[in-house]
Amino acid sequence: MNVATGTKLGWGFVAPALLWTLVFFVLPLLVMGAMSFATLEGRSLIWGFHLDNYIELATRAYLWRAILVSLEITLTVTVVSVVLAYPLAAIIAFRVPREWQRLALLLAILPFWTSYVVRSYAWLLVLAREGLVNQTLMNLGLIAEPITLANTRFATVTGFVHFFVMLLTLTIYANLVQLSPNYRRAAMDLGANAFQTFRHVILPLTLPGIATGAFLTFVLCIGDYVTPQVLGGNNELTIPQVIMVQLGRRADFPLASALAIVMMLIVTLAYLASARWLRLDRV
Amino acid sequence: MRMAAWLYLFLAFGFIYLPVGTLVLFSFQEGTLPVPPFNGPSLGWYADVLSDDDVTDALLHSLLVAIGSSATAVLFGFLAAYGLARHVLPGSALMRVLLIAPLTVSYLIVGLGLLIVLNRTGVGLSLITAGIGHVVINLPLAFAIIYASMGAQHENAERAARDLGASEAKVVLLVTAPMLAPALAAAFFLSVTLSWDEFIIAFLLTRFDITLPVEIWSMLRSGLSPRLNAIGSVVFLISVTAVLMLEFTVLRRRRS
Amino acid sequence: MTASVRLEALNHWFGTFHALQDISLEINAGEYVTLLGPSGCGKTTLLSVLGGFIDPSQGTVFIGHADMTRVPPAKRPTTTMFQDYALFPHMNLRDNVAFGLRMAGVAKAERYRKADEKLDLVGLKADGAKRPHELSGGQRQRVALARALAVEPEVLLLDEPLGALDLKLRRAMQDELKDIQRQVGTTFVHVTHDQEEAMAISDRIVVMNAGRIEDQGPPSRIYREPASLFAADFMGEMNHIPAEVEASVAHTALATLPVATLPQGAATVCIRPEEIRQDGEGLALGQATVREATFFGTFTRAHVTPVSAPEMVLVAHLPPTDLPKPGAVLHLSVLPEDIRVFMKEIA
Repeated sequence: MNVATGTKLGWGFVAPALLWTLVFFVLPLLVMGAMSFATLEGRSLIWGFHLDNYIELATRAYLWRAILVSLEITLTVTVVSVVLAYPLAAIIAFRVPREWQRLALLLAILPFWTSYVVRSYAWLLVLAREGLVNQTLMNLGLIAEPITLANTRFATVTGFVHFFVMLLTLTIYANLVQLSPNYRRAAMDLGANAFQTFRHVILPLTLPGIATGAFLTFVLCIGDYVTPQVLGGNNELTIPQVIMVQLGRRADFPLASALAIVMMLIVTLAYLASARWLRLDRV
Repeated sequence: MRMAAWLYLFLAFGFIYLPVGTLVLFSFQEGTLPVPPFNGPSLGWYADVLSDDDVTDALLHSLLVAIGSSATAVLFGFLAAYGLARHVLPGSALMRVLLIAPLTVSYLIVGLGLLIVLNRTGVGLSLITAGIGHVVINLPLAFAIIYASMGAQHENAERAARDLGASEAKVVLLVTAPMLAPALAAAFFLSVTLSWDEFIIAFLLTRFDITLPVEIWSMLRSGLSPRLNAIGSVVFLISVTAVLMLEFTVLRRRRS
Repeated sequence: MTASVRLEALNHWFGTFHALQDISLEINAGEYVTLLGPSGCGKTTLLSVLGGFIDPSQGTVFIGHADMTRVPPAKRPTTTMFQDYALFPHMNLRDNVAFGLRMAGVAKAERYRKADEKLDLVGLKADGAKRPHELSGGQRQRVALARALAVEPEVLLLDEPLGALDLKLRRAMQDELKDIQRQVGTTFVHVTHDQEEAMAISDRIVVMNAGRIEDQGPPSRIYREPASLFAADFMGEMNHIPAEVEASVAHTALATLPVATLPQGAATVCIRPEEIRQDGEGLALGQATVREATFFGTFTRAHVTPVSAPEMVLVAHLPPTDLPKPGAVLHLSVLPEDIRVFMKEIA
């Protein structure tokens, strides 16, 4: 199948991309890994094998709390987003007439294309004390005083969920739509109602797709700096926020690197945990 | 049950459009706070923001970085896809994994890694360094999209061209690339939209000349203002237009 | 379980496309009926109406004397065997077959027993624990049949079930389907475009074209005395000879043939290849030159050109021992009862 028109030439084609990836991706990761085992003495960087940073991560409350907060927020966001997005994707895939599905999907994900920074800012507008939600609740007479919605974990989670519901609607829809319609027809033909069809046929068959979407959500959420920084207030920080603090105020590359490595480890663990569902059980 | 479905659809769309709707609405605010009550409409903030040099400069920088990094990513991605798809090379499976790997790593980490290396080697931060970071994140996407589009029918056309005496370079230029035009265009547009909107890598790897998301970020620091609404709405409009253009030109043609 | 089916004045439109035109049909309980026709003739649409997947624009569907026109598939006493089988890939065979029973609330032990019974019926008794992807196409099809029969429907609908199988397997499955239908006694409605298949398994064939029923009846009757030119042409091969009908004769380029009383005008005389004789029996059709003759195992297929009509090419089946060379002259004749005449339809 492959035309071997000279292996040397083949290498020539792959070289630019390969070199770029090695130099600007792999190398920085390796340096970062090494940096995580380095230490700062005053302003000087000392290379070597020091576990100081990792020990600090495990012992300093400010740091390991950030890891905990990140995990809590990310897991909450993942679960809520999947639960909200699945019905939306299902309604578009099964209830919206075929000719309108593409448009419906496009409309559902259009706000995707507001700038990420801008979108978090938009939520700040909506949730601020003088913002839309508070004003509406007060106008409806439901509350007397504006409630603090912005600069809270609730705001962070809302901002995240908003983004990931759109992303997941897209991925879950793509998954649902490639299911042969005859599966549903066969189930209904054999006496299943809508709920039974969903529970026994649709859900199991779409589980790999959901798992992939959930994993993607997890990875993107845990590594995000913008949303918690804009919406979360400064009472509790996430891992990315702490990393940025280390970079900004203290120029503490070693500690920042160690945090980054820990974040990558968490993602790897999440991948291993969900790999069971990610592997397609031969459809 | 049918009613419940449409109700859910309505509520979901309400939730999805709440922030964007508010954003665009209050960009036309007559007044200094982008919150209710709504006075207006007024184009004052649009005029304000579009006449701001910092903003227009940042817009230009964003375009430069986006187009430059996307062109590089698509070019390298195309060459790599051609190299791997049409030649038997040892370790090609490993190479494919390596080329796709950056997709699995958070942008923050990509940016951080590059920042550390640049810092230790004394290289200054600029639009170029941001562009380098953007190529890192866009190259795997471009490669994946193009590689997936290289099918057997393309291979046969290339064989025919070689059979008729074309050199390797001619085959790539005159046969392969044109046949892959939809995939190349899709990869390019996708890279541009991702780069255009990308914040954290641009934030970490620029210094004086910054891109639009970074400019918006610094504007954010000064608090809520309809200026931000205006610029946000402009960014939204540009992005949506680009996507709709992609949808109606490249994707439509591919389907017919 | 079994039931009769009656369709009254069914009409269905997809947009402006008139997919089913005034379909009226009666199927007896326990009959094996085939809906036969080319692609786009409406046979699958009709099956979907029967199954409850399509609500017909006009008309009524009676299953066992009850009006089932708007009843959804889940509540109808029909089950469908889909063209791609649609076996649930994440369940083993036993769970697949038992699915309908589970939906009906049957307890596990009981429904597994019934499922195993049905798997035995289709010859897959020992394979209950396997998954669909481990089976061949023919085996999957049998599981689909078992699953459809497990809920003991009154009418079983089969949507081109044998299309994906190779010839030998298809022939074997045709026999099996017929066998199982006789055992179970359920009314079977089978959609196909393969007229050989229709003839092999049906009690009755319903020939469809462009949304209408062209002919219906036992295979032998449709083959020997087709009711329309389309039906005549669709079932097996047919020679078309243009004719002018006048009084009780049809004038053709080959001969003037007596026909039953028909209106005057243009018509087509149809004679099957195997009915063109060389032994001189019956009405003479004149001489013809052989263009080519091919051996087909049980007969020799010859293309011949009548001397009196050199632009015409007829197909004749000769005994397999005859293999005339091109240019050989044959004397053709036909028995009067093998002549069919169809008036030209004014469109």
